Amino acid sequence: MINTVEKIYFNNQFVSYKMTLSDGKIWSVPLDEANTDYQAIQEWIQEGNTVIDNPPN
Amino acid sequence: MALSKVDLANQVENQLPQNLVANNLPFRNIIINGDMSIAQRGTSFADASTYTLDRFIFGKDNDGAVTITQSTDVPSGQGFAKSLKVDVTTADTSIGASQFAILSQRIEAQNLQYLKYGTANAETLTLSFWVKSNKTGTYCISLVKIDNTRYDYVAEYSISSADTWEKKTITIAPDSNIQAAGGAIDNDNGIGFYLQFALADGSSRQGTNNTWNTSTPATSTSNQVNFLDNTANEWFITGVQLEAGTTASDFEFLPVDVNLARCQRYFQTITGFVGYGIGATTFQASYSFPTPMRANPSASQSAVLNISDGASNFAQSSTTITTQNAQVGSWFGLFGNFSGLTQFRPYGKTTTDKILFDAEL
Repeated sequence: MINTVEKIYFNNQFVSYKMTLSDGKIWSVPLDEANTDYQAIQEWIQEGNTVIDNPPN
Repeated sequence: MALSKVDLANQVENQLPQNLVANNLPFRNIIINGDMSIAQRGTSFADASTYTLDRFIFGKDNDGAVTITQSTDVPSGQGFAKSLKVDVTTADTSIGASQFAILSQRIEAQNLQYLKYGTANAETLTLSFWVKSNKTGTYCISLVKIDNTRYDYVAEYSISSADTWEKKTITIAPDSNIQAAGGAIDNDNGIGFYLQFALADGSSRQGTNNTWNTSTPATSTSNQVNFLDNTANEWFITGVQLEAGTTASDFEFLPVDVNLARCQRYFQTITGFVGYGIGATTFQASYSFPTPMRANPSASQSAVLNISDGASNFAQSSTTITTQNAQVGSWFGLFGNFSGLTQFRPYGKTTTDKILFDAEL
């Protein structure tokens, strides 16, 4: 079960998600629609959850 | 006689017994790791909805608990070295209508195109497996096809002798729905089938035996035992094979390197690679996968990373991994939370902790 999701930026580009699960495990998830973690994040967002987004200035 | 006049296919079929032909068809088993020999994630799994031995995922929604392990308890004289064992650790004597405990394998759709589902020529399938439990009675398997129109095939099997390995064979013929357009399986890298073994299943998930059920989910029948009803219960399975045809051929044993490579399409781990420092706190590395993965994988760490420049060792204070570019054939990313690294100095990973790459279905 997903606890938190954070957008990760590198060189000012959004490159992946940091997904923290309820068991404490952390996964770095690529922006790929065929990736089932990516799919789970989209469903989690659809359920009304909010992605942490701190874009670089 | 010119070679073009020789009907080699029919000559072979006419000269060899059919079981000899079937038993020599390579990669006839649709199931990956059916002999339960590959265990990249470990060999013991606490109760959760989680991948266990490679390619096999345990799904649960119930009030009991189980432990899943790779076991050396196998049917005698059949060539198997490992089985998957489910051991009840907390009993649930009353399964709610929507509750379940199911072991399953998700099968990639593009590997199923030769079954010709969605056409009048759809193939009959035969499932075979070895199973053992102290809890006798009726259990169920289901084959769930979700592309286009979802249909769930349910079949019962019986464990008739307690604590005795038994081989089960189930034939799954296509019906008119499977042969129609809605029965088609998309030619992509998504899920084509779920092959599922029910251990407990609630009443709202039950369908009709030996039928492609149109009312879904249907992953068992009303005869399904509640395997979770006692902490003394154990269930073992190995030799899972799903193949085209009306009979079960001998289990297809693959060389361990081939079996591992097939699993690595969905999950793989690495223990060694090199990279370089990006400032004092970040290690950047890239890695080419020995087996291309199904999709761009997610990445994780089993423990903090330890690296060396040949003179000094450096360890992360805590795990943090960032994917910069994941492809099916390679990964490029960052590991933070170091201190004292030198910009652009090369470093190599030194310890046996693992980087995990997951492209499961």
